Amino acid sequence: MIILENVSKSFGNMDAARNISLTVASGEIFGLVGPNGAGKTTTIRMMTGLIRPDSGRICFGEYDIVRDPIRAKASFGYVPDRSFLYEKLTAREFLYFVASLYGMKKKEAAERGENLLDLFGISDAADELIEGFSQGMRQRLLFASALVHDPEALIIDEPFIGLDPFGVRTLINVLKGLSEKGTGIFLATHSLRIAEEVCHRVGLIKKGALLTIKDRDELQGIEGGLEGFFFGMK
Amino acid sequence: MYLRLLILPRVLSLRNSVTAGTALRKLPILVIGASFWWLLYLGTIHLLTFVRNMGIPGEILSEKLFSVIFSGLFGFLLLSSVITALSSYYLAKDIPFFLSRPVEIMDLQWLKMIDTILNSSWMVISFVPPVFIAYGISYDASMFFYVLLMSGMLLFIFIAAGIGISVSHLLTSIFPAKRSRHMFLGIGLILFIVLYFLLKSVIPAAPGTPEEILDSFLKFRADSPLLPGFWLKSAIFPVLKGAHSDMFYFLLLLSNSAFFLLLASRIGSGLYLGNLERLHPASAATGRSILSRWYPGRAAALLYKDMNIFFRDAGQWSQLFIIAALVWIYLNSFRTIPIGALQGISPNITEIMLLLNMLMAGLVLTAVSARFLFPMVSLEGEAFWTIRTAPVQMEKFLRTKLLYGSIPVTIVITLLVYWADAHLCLLWQMMLISTATIVMLCISTNGLGIGMGAIYPRFKYENIASVSVSGGSLFFMIIAFGLVTATLALEAWVYYILYIGQATAMARVITVLAGTASILLINTAAFYLPMKIGARRLTALSS
Repeated sequence: MIILENVSKSFGNMDAARNISLTVASGEIFGLVGPNGAGKTTTIRMMTGLIRPDSGRICFGEYDIVRDPIRAKASFGYVPDRSFLYEKLTAREFLYFVASLYGMKKKEAAERGENLLDLFGISDAADELIEGFSQGMRQRLLFASALVHDPEALIIDEPFIGLDPFGVRTLINVLKGLSEKGTGIFLATHSLRIAEEVCHRVGLIKKGALLTIKDRDELQGIEGGLEGFFFGMK
Repeated sequence: MYLRLLILPRVLSLRNSVTAGTALRKLPILVIGASFWWLLYLGTIHLLTFVRNMGIPGEILSEKLFSVIFSGLFGFLLLSSVITALSSYYLAKDIPFFLSRPVEIMDLQWLKMIDTILNSSWMVISFVPPVFIAYGISYDASMFFYVLLMSGMLLFIFIAAGIGISVSHLLTSIFPAKRSRHMFLGIGLILFIVLYFLLKSVIPAAPGTPEEILDSFLKFRADSPLLPGFWLKSAIFPVLKGAHSDMFYFLLLLSNSAFFLLLASRIGSGLYLGNLERLHPASAATGRSILSRWYPGRAAALLYKDMNIFFRDAGQWSQLFIIAALVWIYLNSFRTIPIGALQGISPNITEIMLLLNMLMAGLVLTAVSARFLFPMVSLEGEAFWTIRTAPVQMEKFLRTKLLYGSIPVTIVITLLVYWADAHLCLLWQMMLISTATIVMLCISTNGLGIGMGAIYPRFKYENIASVSVSGGSLFFMIIAFGLVTATLALEAWVYYILYIGQATAMARVITVLAGTASILLINTAAFYLPMKIGARRLTALSS
């Protein structure tokens, strides 16, 4: 579903991403972990078309994000690490707006929008302006908007920011459910324990380079699991 | 005590942001700015030479023009100070940072005062040096004139900033709403009312003969002894003519600047912290409005969002009052023009008035586009990622913005021109040409505004009004007004060759063809190129 081939990006003299290659299959949850400034967000920003890679290729199915950005973007949903939203829209209006951008029909958008508002526990606040939302509610709305068009892939940067324990549990269940339905999920996170619980494979990134990729079985064989592996990384 | 420390991040940020790359990127702006300065200087020096050659009435007119400049400057500085003070005192993102640190509130206020003084005045002040240099050269003034002018201007700016800061504290305190939008609405309304009465009092009543016109100009008071513009003029103008400065007015400026800055500080001490607590946004249930029920579909998605936000964001409405004031000035100017009396001055007065009408409409169009069209891309703010990661082409995004913004602007400006044309009792052919010209200028200027807004976007702002007074906006206004002037100059040239000059039939045909082609070419380029470059710039945006 998601393919990255030798993707590199530098800002001036700094290499933010160096020859990153990985794939995320349909139904797979892939986690990217690494210290601050390792290149996780840069990788995600390249994947979502927010910045262009200097070299390499990023594809969603058959669509290249640089060569065919409209079709590529139509196939994934994105949850950024910072929840900048249109403050003067209500949650429901924001969902309608996003659904419209993806060309959804009214009936479909309304049904799916209501289900997602319910699923993420924000249906009571659906007609309130976003400017009054807490960080957790914004995060829930971001997830609802990323899923409103039923994407084939989901890209998430720090998914658990601001969520209370109920929100975290809901989200874990949602991610597992999406995976079972065949959605490919790529997430970058610092929450190692949660990554270990939900991810089928985890990649470790440092100084822009993808050092290694381990699957769940391999991680279980390492002392301390993902956390032990992370702290043992040189 | 900590003020020096608090200023340090700003100084360091400025130092770090000035690199060879940024200087190179801003080179076109600098070149256009320098050309604008040069043209402004040439225009002023020619005007002064013409006016001063008229003898005593000319000298009086020159002094009145000097007064008008200071009165206008003070109005702009005041408006700019109120808007900037609101942004830096109440909406700036660094406020929570400072409030959570062991920083004295007084030090924070001084910091914000410096911010307000600098940010509110730089753009207004950057326009005027060529005008004063032209005055200095025309009157052969000594260096003392320039020294006195600069120090006087500084005090002038302090007075405007002091009043602006005090007004912003009081307004924030008077409007107890938890959202700042009511405050902006209030400011817009107050400014409009003040401007209305101010202009109503200074615009002369319609005279009937050429002598009465001259008389009304000479009696026309552009200032009041109660206003700082009068003090500054009275302190400086004698020096310009080689006499001694009236130090009384200079001391008046000095004492008033100290008074208003202290007043702002005292009002701030009493109200600032309380006002800040009031400004926290509350959750607001809006219910499902008519627009909420409408499902836009892909074609109208952006329109749906922009309209919903516009109706709720009164920060954008304050712009409407400024535009209403501009429209009112325009209408009032034309209502008071004595066409009958002016016929005695020149046989082509109707054509001259038509040209002036178009020029004035062009000025209003430029100002309206700078307020509405230019900031439209920046209005997306930091939520722009939503559109950039969605399957939306930037060309289509810009076209939607253009459609949404240009329809009301084109309708309003065209109606204004039509109204003024009807007042001038023009032939239908002239009305047709003038209406077609203004529609074309509306489309090209609006395209230029949206395109340049995309080339120079500013997604991280504290108040959208600040985007309208940014360097990019200034650049846009200069180019837009240049486009209007060039188009009208070409039309005037064609008209002159056709109806006034003694050209051959062949020369007339060539002139019409060349003039029309040039007009179409510059307007198409002004519309198309910025939109194209803007879309490319947004697609390749790296932040």
